[in-house]
Amino acid sequence: MRMTLAVAVLLALLPLGLPPYAMTLLTEALIMGLFAMSLDLMVGYARLISFGHAAAYGLGAYTCGNILLHTDIPLPLAVPMAGVFSGFIGIGIAWVCTQATGVSFSMLTLALAQLLYAVAFKWTSVTGASDGLAGIPRRPGPFGTTYFSTKIGFYYLTMACLFGSFLFARALVRSPFGAVLRGIRENEAKTLSLGYNTRLYKIAVVAASYILGGLAGALYAPFAGFANTELLFWLLSGQVLIMVIVGGTGTLVGPILGAAFFLLVQQQLSTYTDSWALFFGVIFIAFVLFAPEGILGLARRRRSVRSH
Amino acid sequence: MIGLNRRTLLASALASPVVLRHALGDTPIKIGMPVALTGPGGEIGAQMRRGAEFWAKHTNAKGGLLGRPIELVIQDTGGDPAACVRKAQDVVERDGCRLLYGMTYSSEALAVVPKLAEWNAIFMSSVNGDGRLTGSSLVPNFFRANTSGPMGTRAVSLYLRPAAYKGFFAIGMDYAWGHNSIGVFKDEVQRAGKNFIGDVYSPIGTKDFSTYIAKIRQSGADACFIVMQGDDNAAFLSQAKQYRLSDKVQLLTEVVDLNSIAATGEAAVGLIGSSRYSFTFPGEANAEFVEMWKKEYKTVPDTFEGEQWQAGLVLAAGITKAGSIDADKLRPALENIEIDSIKGHVKIRACDHQGEQQGFMVKVVKKEGFDKPIPELISTFAADRVTPGCGKMTYDS
Repeated sequence: MRMTLAVAVLLALLPLGLPPYAMTLLTEALIMGLFAMSLDLMVGYARLISFGHAAAYGLGAYTCGNILLHTDIPLPLAVPMAGVFSGFIGIGIAWVCTQATGVSFSMLTLALAQLLYAVAFKWTSVTGASDGLAGIPRRPGPFGTTYFSTKIGFYYLTMACLFGSFLFARALVRSPFGAVLRGIRENEAKTLSLGYNTRLYKIAVVAASYILGGLAGALYAPFAGFANTELLFWLLSGQVLIMVIVGGTGTLVGPILGAAFFLLVQQQLSTYTDSWALFFGVIFIAFVLFAPEGILGLARRRRSVRSH
Repeated sequence: MIGLNRRTLLASALASPVVLRHALGDTPIKIGMPVALTGPGGEIGAQMRRGAEFWAKHTNAKGGLLGRPIELVIQDTGGDPAACVRKAQDVVERDGCRLLYGMTYSSEALAVVPKLAEWNAIFMSSVNGDGRLTGSSLVPNFFRANTSGPMGTRAVSLYLRPAAYKGFFAIGMDYAWGHNSIGVFKDEVQRAGKNFIGDVYSPIGTKDFSTYIAKIRQSGADACFIVMQGDDNAAFLSQAKQYRLSDKVQLLTEVVDLNSIAATGEAAVGLIGSSRYSFTFPGEANAEFVEMWKKEYKTVPDTFEGEQWQAGLVLAAGITKAGSIDADKLRPALENIEIDSIKGHVKIRACDHQGEQQGFMVKVVKKEGFDKPIPELISTFAADRVTPGCGKMTYDS
């Protein structure tokens, strides 16, 4: 708890000394961090490996984009609304995908996400098809405040979403509900035989994950002022899975670090080479081989070595 | 002694080139250029980059603008609007660019323009066709030096008025520009009392056009309007040749460029279309530009290289007149500015920031002295006939 508070204070103070470009990067890192953390709920705690988590992100982004473009609902309300909508769709997606387990589950998540991608490509009136939704505004309010429309205000809104989501997710995995999830992760048959309806639990965690993932997407739309089909594409699903694994699965904090690390490396490498993804691939392989517990695991290992 | 050394060190650090340059007032004018260098639009992006680099080099050789050198900050967008917004934000916030150039697809430009006010940056379009950019999506900091999609389409339809074609079909790339231009074309055809049979759209990057070509053949149209560019255009034209589409249907296109002709070879001969720029355009200014270009690149300039050059001329005139690159000073300077360009007289209207300019129709022919077919000018339309009313995309007469 003390650690969380310290990080919160640090992040809250950062805007005071950072140039606009760094602020943009940091805001994006927090959004991606939230997105990666949402996937960790599924991957790290229930071993539900989703290859289609971009669906949550894209749903959130398109929903929030449409709310902001076509209604007067203020930004701080539009974002959670889009998250909830994404979670609602997530229930349906989970209902279908949890018919299967293991690799089949992963393939179903990929298939459904690609289905949404194809729909977005054709549903011009809602998604703008390949042109996307442009000029998504940060609507002022509530109570007439324009604070959240500013760069710093938007950063704090993002930060609040990330911390709120983190506290929610942590409470969730520490609760008896989380214990059942871990039971599913370790031995689903045994958990089932103990009398738990594991499928319901899985649907619930996917829905929670979609709410948080949708929240991240909902923040991205007004952040970039733009949303298009890329946000539903499998490439993003793959990237966020990499962030989770590089950061450390089943830790919630790890994936946030993984996302920041991913963006940082992308930013640095892409200024030197167009094939930055190739180099990131090497980094990813190195993590899988030598540090399967991810960045957070590495940090913890170092700390425990030092304390001995 | 040591103390003195330290002080000397400090002084020399302060006198480093960066600091000195500020003092002399010759910090470069940075122009951010997020452009598609990879993907299906990569060839167009490459033309835009060459055009911009040539203009920057030429301008710098003459002492730059306001005594400051031009520096281009070029970033690849891959033709993706989302990446384009990110790259544009990068060049503005990280590199401190207050001027933007480039953006290959209209969808990229449409995604970026809502951000211009926040960045306090001016964007000079050199290739973006979608009429909405100077219509419903116009923002104060956007300017278009190039021929827009509606203007190119208008030239084609004016040319077609006396022609005998009765039924028209249209194929366009499935994004902003394709839909916009075909919408304008449909309107023009119907107002001329002719039959618009139907339209079809192919996703950006389509390689196999056989089903689309079959559709065009079956439509019974005697002419087909094509709104494509880059790799898609080249692929469509060469497959149209394989299917002998032009035996049955007159192909008309909104953009005739050398690159697509070269990729198509002999198949392009007979193609009629509007041209945004061609090295074959008349006038001394163009002849001079083509000579300069040949000296540098050993070949003639292509469509978007010429358009990029013209955009450079407009921007340079504006900056010189404003005496500043500050958006609040440059904006009024660019409004109503007039220049003599390689395409003739160009005036940037104050009302919608569109460059009024002539419309050109060309036909692709084989000519002696050229190993590949070239576009030959067949008709020219005055600026007031091809430029739409302020903020509009359709025409009244």
